[in-house]
Amino acid sequence: MTESLKPGTLLVFRQPPYSNSLSRSGLDTALAAGAFEQPVTLLFLSDGILQLLPQQDSAGLGKRNHGKVLASLPLYDIETLWVDAGALSTCGYAIDDLPEGARLADRVLIRDMLAQHDHILAF
Amino acid sequence: MLLHTLNSAPQSAATRDCCDLLTEQDTVILFGDGVYAGLEGSATSRTLRDSGAAIFALAPDVAAAGIGAKLAAGISIIDYPQFVAISAKYPGQMAWY
Amino acid sequence: MKYSLLVLSAPDSGSGNLAAARFAKAVIDGGHQLYRVFFLDRGAATGLASTVLPQDEQNVAGLWSALASQHGAELILCIASALKQGVLDETEATRYEQAAATILPGFELGGLGLLVEAMADSDRLLTFGG
Repeated sequence: MTESLKPGTLLVFRQPPYSNSLSRSGLDTALAAGAFEQPVTLLFLSDGILQLLPQQDSAGLGKRNHGKVLASLPLYDIETLWVDAGALSTCGYAIDDLPEGARLADRVLIRDMLAQHDHILAF
Repeated sequence: MLLHTLNSAPQSAATRDCCDLLTEQDTVILFGDGVYAGLEGSATSRTLRDSGAAIFALAPDVAAAGIGAKLAAGISIIDYPQFVAISAKYPGQMAWY
Repeated sequence: MKYSLLVLSAPDSGSGNLAAARFAKAVIDGGHQLYRVFFLDRGAATGLASTVLPQDEQNVAGLWSALASQHGAELILCIASALKQGVLDETEATRYEQAAATILPGFELGGLGLLVEAMADSDRLLTFGG
């Protein structure tokens, strides 16, 4: 089943979840867009796919659990998390390991997504 | 049709990821450490050229790097007003940093 | 055209913040509207008043302040990012019982809703990081 691309803003995530504050800032932006009912599409590229790994337990770092918050995005009508298929294939996880809304995006789809959104925010 | 801005050094993941996604309808603006990607004879400048995308480099960063005479052919040096003019033609901008 | 900018990096590190400031000036000089500049994450440090720079370094925050004072540019620091980095206005300084406000004139604290609004209302929205 293919999902039609939405207009609006594409949020691109390229960093792992915890060492860089940008990942949290980007996710907070997605949450705000959801709360204000503005259409956003989330795309995880390169090391950004690491934000989606299962079984994150950030208590020892004293940080908000990034994976748990990502998993709550459907509450804000953000159903789909697009995942760079090429990057995923190199890190030892499969799409089924990732949150329910995760969908694979190959390079062609990624290019299309980048070219077709009105705005792109890069985190 | 996408505007890419690249301000990361040539060996970085950002540069690699940017080069990976370029198409000939795109434009790339190099600034900050990104200008080094335009060095004549470098693998990165070859990749940029082979993509068919239009490549520009911001003047103050080229000057700071000292590479004005060493940029690959086909890379044009621009100023900020030209950067704005280019951005007006592209709905989306992907920032690689 | 209506431009908004998202600034993610600090004024004294990397190249994104200075480039954004110069881009913003060129937007105004080019006859476009600079609708909003939203400083998020490390970008919010731009509005910190108590910095002292070496004589041989450009005051990037000063470039931004000038855009606000001379052209009425709206410079919003994400309030959560700003607080984390010690940038407080009078209200927040009082709320958190801090000794003084530390925000530069020309900057205001605001929520992510203002960035979302910029997404909806701008013709062009550019990210500057790194």
